[in-house]
Amino acid sequence: MASTSKQYKAIGEDIWKGRTEKINSELFALTYGALVIQLIQDYEDFAEVNKQLEKMGYNIGTRLIEDFLARSAIGRCADFKEVGEVVAKVGFKSFLNITPIVTHAAPPPAASSRTSTPAPQSNAVGSSFTLTLDENPLVEFVELPEDALEGGLWFSNVLCGVLRGALEMMQVQATFISDVLRGDETTEIRVTLLKYLEEEVPVADD
Amino acid sequence: MSHHLYLLSPSDTPLYSLTHYSSKPAQATVTSPLASNLPSWSTSAFAGTLTALSGATSATQPHHVQGGTVRVGGGQDRHVIQMIANASLDVIEEVVRKENAMYLKSVDKFNEWTVSAFVTPGNMKFVLLHEARNDDGIKAFFNDVWELYVKTMLNPFHTAHTPIRSPVFDSRVRASAKKYL
Repeated sequence: MASTSKQYKAIGEDIWKGRTEKINSELFALTYGALVIQLIQDYEDFAEVNKQLEKMGYNIGTRLIEDFLARSAIGRCADFKEVGEVVAKVGFKSFLNITPIVTHAAPPPAASSRTSTPAPQSNAVGSSFTLTLDENPLVEFVELPEDALEGGLWFSNVLCGVLRGALEMMQVQATFISDVLRGDETTEIRVTLLKYLEEEVPVADD
Repeated sequence: MSHHLYLLSPSDTPLYSLTHYSSKPAQATVTSPLASNLPSWSTSAFAGTLTALSGATSATQPHHVQGGTVRVGGGQDRHVIQMIANASLDVIEEVVRKENAMYLKSVDKFNEWTVSAFVTPGNMKFVLLHEARNDDGIKAFFNDVWELYVKTMLNPFHTAHTPIRSPVFDSRVRASAKKYL
């Protein structure tokens, strides 16, 4: 069911409005901040903290996708491009009330030349989309200190994990490209398609 | 005309200090009674204060005096300022018991220096040493600093009651000082 971008926006808006249990954003930001600080104190290594945040996000994502599919009743996406649209306009909107901007990128040419069956362009392994977050509720009051900047901490890395977990049906890789907390211009997450599991049966369609 | 701001935790630990030189013209400054007797080279900003320290007794009872001797050199001004700020803490605590407002106007006077204080609900003390009267500006400045302080406290990377080292906080306080003082 190919919906237009506007329809996705409307769906996302409806789900957000329809939610009865919302949480105070300050409480949310402070809780997440305390969590990151605790991880830093426990692991003392920023790369390890990044990994742990991603793992936590992964666990959240695998559960979140069920909730999302139940509420949004969106059918299968035709291609990876549509996945990006749905994630940004419906997914992020309904859970965080933000709508990141999606930019799509085709797979790099060299990689797809070795595949035996020519898959459609936007489903090819290696195609990706980039989410640009102009606002991020997790980093409401945060300022990174010197050592976190040098250690390479991605403060909102949990979001990457959530994306990976939610898109479990296809193997994706989600990583941060830039982050305003680290002094960059924008906050960007790149989601790359690694493998497409053709055999997946759509859920409950009898 | 200079201003000295100190942020103190409830246990009187200094968390932040700032010296701001105002470009605004000084309002009618109170000339120290001793200044007129001294040669012109000694009427620096601290001349009245230093002379008072070296011999005469002052109205307040400073309990952080560095021996009684005045050390010559640039560093001593800093010590004098800090001493005045510390001395005013006793007075601030007294006033806090009586008054309910956050902005305690000028709580103390030491020769040409007036000490204004602002006590937050969390018992943080903001102490400002200044020479001229500027109640409205200072009140606005204190409120601004309070807001900035609250925002810094909400940063998860900041531990409560530790010195504030954030460059963002520093630049914003300076901008606010420029605006109001």
